Amino acid sequence: MNMTLYFKMLKVHAKSISSYAIGSALYLLLIIGIYPSVADAPGLNELMDSMPDSFLAAFGMEGGFQHVSDFIAGEYYGLLYIVILSIFSLMTSSQLMARLIDRGSMAYILATPNSRKKVAFTQSLVLITGLLIIALTTMLAGVIGTELLIDNKPFEAMTFIKVNLVGLLLFYAISAYSFLFSSLLNDERQALGISGLITIVFYGMDLIGKMSDKLDWLVNLSLFATFRPVEIARGSVEIWPSVTFLFILGTALYALGIILFSKRDLPL
Amino acid sequence: MIELNGLTKEFSNGKGIFDVRFSIPKGEVFGFLGPNGAGKSTTIRHLMGFMKPTSGSASIFGMDTWKDAAKIQERVGYLPGEIAFLDGMDGIEFLKLIGGMRGLKQTNYRDELIQRLQLDVKTPIRKMSKGMKQKVGIVAAFMHQPEVVILDEPTSGLDPLMQRIFIDIVSELKDKGTTFLMSSHSFSEIERTCDRAAIIKDGKIVVVENIHALQQKQRRLFEVTFSSAEEAQQVRNHLNVISVSDNRAEIAVQGDYNQFIQVLGAYEILNIDLHEQHLEDVFLNYYDREAQI
Repeated sequence: MNMTLYFKMLKVHAKSISSYAIGSALYLLLIIGIYPSVADAPGLNELMDSMPDSFLAAFGMEGGFQHVSDFIAGEYYGLLYIVILSIFSLMTSSQLMARLIDRGSMAYILATPNSRKKVAFTQSLVLITGLLIIALTTMLAGVIGTELLIDNKPFEAMTFIKVNLVGLLLFYAISAYSFLFSSLLNDERQALGISGLITIVFYGMDLIGKMSDKLDWLVNLSLFATFRPVEIARGSVEIWPSVTFLFILGTALYALGIILFSKRDLPL
Repeated sequence: MIELNGLTKEFSNGKGIFDVRFSIPKGEVFGFLGPNGAGKSTTIRHLMGFMKPTSGSASIFGMDTWKDAAKIQERVGYLPGEIAFLDGMDGIEFLKLIGGMRGLKQTNYRDELIQRLQLDVKTPIRKMSKGMKQKVGIVAAFMHQPEVVILDEPTSGLDPLMQRIFIDIVSELKDKGTTFLMSSHSFSEIERTCDRAAIIKDGKIVVVENIHALQQKQRRLFEVTFSSAEEAQQVRNHLNVISVSDNRAEIAVQGDYNQFIQVLGAYEILNIDLHEQHLEDVFLNYYDREAQI
């Protein structure tokens, strides 16, 4: 990697990384903050019972919430976390490669004595660093927030960390295919469009598959099948298969993006 | 220093560059002329290792421009034809980024260039005019004192004063033995600096020629205003008059300036204007000959 490029790029993206990190942490704190009132509300479990099972299953809410970690997992990691990190991964990956190719500024970077592999690898590290910062800030906010805001409720820090680990790795893989398209295409919007579409299709397959009995096979085709925050929080699922799969997939896709970028013609 | 051996790149639409060959010895300033879309930038992209040739090859310092791109860049300076810097930084930050990526420690020459080009490096890049960006690009291409400099349309966007300063810098570096490849779509832009030039048309090299020989062959169009319409008509017999309207005559001159001056000397001339022409019109004979084949 090239240190100058790495730190400059981090600086350029520092604003967006920190706003996503702070936004994500604040949302999580908000969810934690409302937990006591939700947990004590007498009508909630009846309300849950009245809803169709398939609907509850789609959002990981079947069986109600026993612990604060279930509640956070269902309410935050089931949807908002995914939305925030997806947007960050898609936007940043398309800016790190396709935008520079699209606008021609990549020409200046490649006119320095750094191989294309080195440049692409450095850019991928910027993306991964951003993801790490956002995911770790969110996790830290969760640990500290429950400590401060919740009294006498069982909070399992270990399962919460596991939720975060699998979540981070899911986005390691999602950012990897976004980075791959960003390295392969000359048009920033095209790169963003394709990786955005894939992400939406994956998410839709997951949602539909969980709601419908006939289409439940769709779930297993979606990348989101590897991330079941509520089940991880309840300890009812082993995380290591997902962790291994996502890590290998993400690494392979990043490597593919870097290699293909170093071999293709660039319109600079 | 720079060798192109039958460099060919065919795009899916049938366009591209075909069997481009020329070589540039050390210390030469070489012009690369062609109208827009003739294949200048495509050729330069190959020299920078941005594209892989369909066939043929190019080398700088004896190294293959596709395989050894990163190694070649250590001693090459490049000014892209399209000026597009990174967002979110000012001029000096950009130069520090490029310098840092080159491992450049000495910044004296960079600062000297900034001063000579009167560049305000604290301006955010997105607020820069085209000419200012061009200056930043020139500093980025020269600051590490490269042995070979490749410039794609270097003086576009520069005002005449800055063009002079730019030409001075090029001449100084040439005296120190720097080799240049400079592309342009206008002959007047390169004739003051270049030793030799190649002309490219539809992806093929039409001619590689000494700059003085090209100057002889260029066809210039003068618009001469006579004192009367009759006089404007009279010169038709002696000079190549393209058109006459009222007391103004458009006269084409190719090489033989003496005759032009002698004929006009007999008349009272109110004004002489030099027409800016497209490259195709300046080198009509090259472009015509090619068309006939």
